[in-house]
Amino acid sequence: MDSPEQKITKTVSRVDASKESMANSRQVIGINFCGPTPLMWRADDLKSVRELGIIGTLVGSLARQPRQNTRLGRPLELLPEEGRLLADMGRAAVIPDSTNEDPEVNPEQVEQYHAGLENSFQEQGALALEDRKATLMRVMTKKHNGKETSSLTYRHLCETSELSVLALTALCFLLENSGSQEDSDGAVRDRLEALAHGFSFPRPAMAVQLCTARAGLSHCPEVRRFLAADWPIPRDERSETRFRVFRDLRRQGFYLTSAGKFGGDYLVYPGDPLRFHAYFIVVCISMDESMPLCDVLAIARLGSNVKKTVLLCSSGGSQEDDGEEVVYTSLQWSGMV
Amino acid sequence: MYLQLNKHVKSLVLLCFTAGGVTDSLYVFVPRGNLVKAVWIPSDMIVELQSPAGKFWQTMGFSAHGKQCLHPEEALYLMECGNLQLFYQDLPLSIQEGYERFLYSKTMSVQHYQVFGHLKRLGYVVNRFDPSSVPSQYERQLNLPQSQDRSGRLPKRKRSHSPTSRHTGTQEGPTSKRMEEEKDCNREEEDKNPDSLPDLSAPDIDEIQTASHVDPTTSTKGGQGRSWWSKEGSPGPDSELPGHPQSSPRWDFSSIPFPDLGSRSWLPSSLTSPDPCLLPGAVGSVGACDVAPWLQRLNLREVRMSRRECERERDRDRYRRDINQDREVRRCRNWAEYQELQGRRIQRSRRDRPTHLWERPVTPLHDPAQVTSTGELLDKISVIKSTRLLEGASSLKGSEEWRICFNIYQPDTVAEFKKSAPGKPYSRMCVCSFDGPVPDLWTLKLLAFQSGDVPVTYAVVDHGDISFYSFKDFQIPTDTSF
Repeated sequence: MDSPEQKITKTVSRVDASKESMANSRQVIGINFCGPTPLMWRADDLKSVRELGIIGTLVGSLARQPRQNTRLGRPLELLPEEGRLLADMGRAAVIPDSTNEDPEVNPEQVEQYHAGLENSFQEQGALALEDRKATLMRVMTKKHNGKETSSLTYRHLCETSELSVLALTALCFLLENSGSQEDSDGAVRDRLEALAHGFSFPRPAMAVQLCTARAGLSHCPEVRRFLAADWPIPRDERSETRFRVFRDLRRQGFYLTSAGKFGGDYLVYPGDPLRFHAYFIVVCISMDESMPLCDVLAIARLGSNVKKTVLLCSSGGSQEDDGEEVVYTSLQWSGMV
Repeated sequence: MYLQLNKHVKSLVLLCFTAGGVTDSLYVFVPRGNLVKAVWIPSDMIVELQSPAGKFWQTMGFSAHGKQCLHPEEALYLMECGNLQLFYQDLPLSIQEGYERFLYSKTMSVQHYQVFGHLKRLGYVVNRFDPSSVPSQYERQLNLPQSQDRSGRLPKRKRSHSPTSRHTGTQEGPTSKRMEEEKDCNREEEDKNPDSLPDLSAPDIDEIQTASHVDPTTSTKGGQGRSWWSKEGSPGPDSELPGHPQSSPRWDFSSIPFPDLGSRSWLPSSLTSPDPCLLPGAVGSVGACDVAPWLQRLNLREVRMSRRECERERDRDRYRRDINQDREVRRCRNWAEYQELQGRRIQRSRRDRPTHLWERPVTPLHDPAQVTSTGELLDKISVIKSTRLLEGASSLKGSEEWRICFNIYQPDTVAEFKKSAPGKPYSRMCVCSFDGPVPDLWTLKLLAFQSGDVPVTYAVVDHGDISFYSFKDFQIPTDTSF
């Protein structure tokens, strides 16, 4: 099971490198809002966003192993600050919600869909036939070479073809009882032709594509810039403070994720979270807010328990977007000096 | 160093994403025959299945209008697992479209769906919470057998259609038999046509030999008056709609006089006839009742006390003293002396209770002469009374912000899980986030009360990360051993 995945990885990384070298024009990443939550659906968007240092959280089921919680799949949920930073950088655009646009059935699209299904069916039928032929060849050669191959081997070979076994076992049975060991090439050809004639790929055995992301107008990155909507999250003082702290830390090269379970706003990593433990827990408070002592003690105690430094962050008093300072105060449990 | 590591990170990251599929779609290698098809109906916010449901039907979905249906979050979860293909306007929906169409409301948002999906992937059975399905405190006390289906479907009874004779006006046999007959014919009526009026039922019961016409009003009243007999709580076949809670009893017992035949003060000679509406159906009006034969059956003899009882009475009488017999009082010549005597007596009796403590408006909390246990004493001097979580919870009004969303059943009950009789859930879930307010005591009490005796768990969603919290009642033990 490992080899096919490795292969995919290698080809994609090659393709990706070439893409990067080719397309210097940046692709706009699309962000879809589901209520107040920013989500990302397209796999290449996810990759480019990760390279920009935005981590996010995968929240959907993993396609190949849906019934487990350790590894999740798309969509990627972004922190509101992450999305806003991407939009401010010009790298992302909000794709407007188009769910309520078509009240009636669109016959063209339905036709396209059915045509696509039919094509897929034909392709799969051809592939299935090839697969069966290959299996048959293997069986025949095995019989040729190994004089005493048991029926178990035949069945094993049949089952590895992933298709329904009935017709194939009948064929194998015939092969077993063919008796003569002098199968010449002619006999093999005959058998293959018989298979080709008698083969039919049943419709219920067709594999069907279930899409994760929506296909549609938002597919092309150029169109996304055109379609971009305004950032729908309202801005208040607290989210403004959080955003400024986020932007400042991101500028310094840190990677940030959410830290609700640690009692803070962000967890700060010196590099990609896959490789490092968090160094800091960031708690954003406004400059003029007074923090009760027991809260300070609580957060300090928490930080020392999990071996992270607590950073109390506030953005400077100025209202300008750029040039304001973020003030950091760290709390670390130390002995008496 | 950093650049080299960067390359490794890239491959790691790519591995993460490729596990989810490089392409934008998921190829399901389930033969198409196993994929359940369904249609999204936005007006009802329901997904209707077009092909028969698979194994998931045991724990998910419901039947409506004769079709198998799913809630939107259940359908979305099945789509993510690759078991369901959802169509809308003849085109298949992608998971992204599912999210955008189903998860925009406050009742089912992205956070709710994340909790739902998380628990379903772990194997729990998760249903939507219905506040009316929680039995009230009184119902729990009664420990009623849970009715199978509250939608009003009446149980099928296996019994032979034996003819029952119903004669109005005559009293044949003991009243219990009569009541049983009434019960049978009442149930027959309910069985045959649960919603139509009872006068239509008379021609249906033609198999019964005596075709006496049953007065519809009396049978109705009989049915209503006997609503407490039918186990399922669904009342008689007239105005009450099935599914409504049981009707209150028709009789106001405070206004019905029950004569006390045993009292010595009032001995009536005869009792007046009771109101015909209080009597079982076909009896009609009975005449006045002669009391004498009943009184004969009562034991009206005088109680003859035994010797010991007589002695006890005498001892009690001894302590009732006549104040004029008191020698000291006799010695008092005037009212002032009597007052002095009283004052002296009081002082003597209250020697250890000084007046400056006990005669003021504010008295000591505890009289040492009174014997109490340590526990009671501690209770007396406690400033803060301990309270339980559900105290005062019944008077709380509902809240828009805090709601119980789901019922959770444990994974090991999946084999015997029945949607019609799921039993008591393992827990109930309320979804909130770290950005929102922390649940205060008011919320805790409200939700604990709404949930009945099932514990409430709070699922806090923090941008994809879910933590579960629950609040438990705890009494600090008091040490009364000293």
